[in-house]
Amino acid sequence: MAFLTDYQYYENSGNAPENENWGSYQYVSLDEIVTNFILMYVGNDKLINNVEKYNIRFHAKRAIQELNYDSLKEIKILELQVCDTLRYVLPADYVNWVRISLYKDGLLLPLSENIQTNWADAYLQDNNCRILFDHDGQILKPSTSTIDMQRILKQKKTIYLNEMSQYHGQEGYFYNGLWYFEYPIGARYGLNTETANQNPTFKLNKQAGVINFSSDMANELCVLEYVSDGMEKGDDSNVSVNKLFEEFIYAYMKYVILNSKVGVQEYIINRVRKEKAALLRNAKLRLSNIHPGRLLMNLRGRAKWIK
Amino acid sequence: MINEVRNTVLSIANKNNFGYITPNDFNLYARQAQLDIFEDYFYQYNAWNVKQNVRQSGTGYADIVKSLEEVLDSFSATRALLYRGSSLYDLPENYYLINKINYYNTVITTGSTTNFGTNLLEDNTATFITDNVQVGNLVSNDETGLSAFVTAVVSETELNLSNDLFNLLGIDYTIVSTNPSTIREIERVSQNKIFYLNSSPLTYPTAMYPAYVLGGADGTAGSSNTFGNTVTVYPDSIGTQGMVITQYIRYPRVPNWTYVQVGINQEPSFDESAADYQDFELPESDAPNLINKILQYAGVSIRDNTVAAFGKAEETEANKQEGQ
Repeated sequence: MAFLTDYQYYENSGNAPENENWGSYQYVSLDEIVTNFILMYVGNDKLINNVEKYNIRFHAKRAIQELNYDSLKEIKILELQVCDTLRYVLPADYVNWVRISLYKDGLLLPLSENIQTNWADAYLQDNNCRILFDHDGQILKPSTSTIDMQRILKQKKTIYLNEMSQYHGQEGYFYNGLWYFEYPIGARYGLNTETANQNPTFKLNKQAGVINFSSDMANELCVLEYVSDGMEKGDDSNVSVNKLFEEFIYAYMKYVILNSKVGVQEYIINRVRKEKAALLRNAKLRLSNIHPGRLLMNLRGRAKWIK
Repeated sequence: MINEVRNTVLSIANKNNFGYITPNDFNLYARQAQLDIFEDYFYQYNAWNVKQNVRQSGTGYADIVKSLEEVLDSFSATRALLYRGSSLYDLPENYYLINKINYYNTVITTGSTTNFGTNLLEDNTATFITDNVQVGNLVSNDETGLSAFVTAVVSETELNLSNDLFNLLGIDYTIVSTNPSTIREIERVSQNKIFYLNSSPLTYPTAMYPAYVLGGADGTAGSSNTFGNTVTVYPDSIGTQGMVITQYIRYPRVPNWTYVQVGINQEPSFDESAADYQDFELPESDAPNLINKILQYAGVSIRDNTVAAFGKAEETEANKQEGQ
């Protein structure tokens, strides 16, 4: 692709949307990667020849996918309201979550993933606990399991320290300057810090493609930060990757193509494997963007007294 | 060149009045010899590529690969594939090797000719300037598939072309953009891979990365829909005349030594002006090879072992010198 003029960059040449090209220079497109690779690394006098273009495209996309999972830090953010069903349907291009927050009173409150489950499938059973089947032999299922139903109806207790905690509202005695509580079973010694959080909690149901929240999340705004695989829902024209990884992608493609070809000497495969690994490290360092301005702000807190 | 080759062949073969080669026989041998040498170029090209990779080929005048490429490129041709429906396109009848097929995704305008002239496209219903037809756009004849570039936009209804495409009225044409961003190479995929390619989420053919397979899936051997003469293009959204254009290596034209017979029992006299005259298309440097090949065929024909052996020995010697 040719370089953009300033007018094309800032105004999209007068076309809508105006912001089409903003920030585009930091990315290299899939098409450019495939074209450059064929031009520079494939040929009769090159290490790679007789390779189909779809092969090259596949490996280019796989490289971009792998980078998107961790190294690239291309975070997507989606805000949605959680309704009474306490469910947040995962975005169509969701691969993994980075952070899930409650947006309330102008603040982002990070949520904890519940260490216990808050959802389950269920089978219908008779009085003798025998599973019920339909005439096709399929198991009959209720529309909602008990655990889900109680969560939605705000009846499910939680081990986290909020209004639904099993200890919330328990009566105690103030004697001789100290509080004493009667708990249903045994006694409580100290605090489980893992669950010492009063924010709502969530648990992913990956198969169902939803995030299930605790009941105190009903009708609240949820902000999901997640990573995708960079495939832009199958639209190849939108697939791109940060330029800092361009050289790594060529090295990765060289390696995987040579590694899967018959008759390539092992020393060549090792050479390109090392090149790939070195370039990934380089690119990660570059992308980590460590510079004095950022370090300064962090280091200002180094002499702070922690009470 | 064909007359010099014929004279030399006759001179060698007829030295002792052993045999005379008729013009018809000569033309048959000439065609055979040219095809033989033409095909040999591809094998030579491959062999020299291998040598180049082991550093046995030089640069500049010693760049054998480059000189072989030049010969092969002289047989390069470009043509729009004729669309016959259902994503099926006809291949040119004279193709030897399809080098690439491109998809030109932006049609600027289409129409029919209302007049014709040398290197001219005239359509008095067209609005070429309004449609933004520009110099460099590609025009194709929708009936023959022949294509040419626009060399000048003369008026709203008239274009000058780089080749003569139209010699009749009412011929449909298509003009496509040649902006690099509007051209996509259609990738060749073998029949046994296309199913998997279409099923793969990462590699399925799109308008951005189209693919084709040789031989229509509904082709019937023996009919006009014969396997091997068509390509099926994927995705099936690509299916318009004038948008799929191939660059290929064509077969050399059949050589034809044309003549006039001045009188009975007279030597036929070479006539270069005949309408069906066709010279060899191989470079001048291939004349000795052509002579050697033709001598071998002629030697067998006139049952003169010496002639055939001489041709074979000369060819072997030449190959040795060329490092094959």
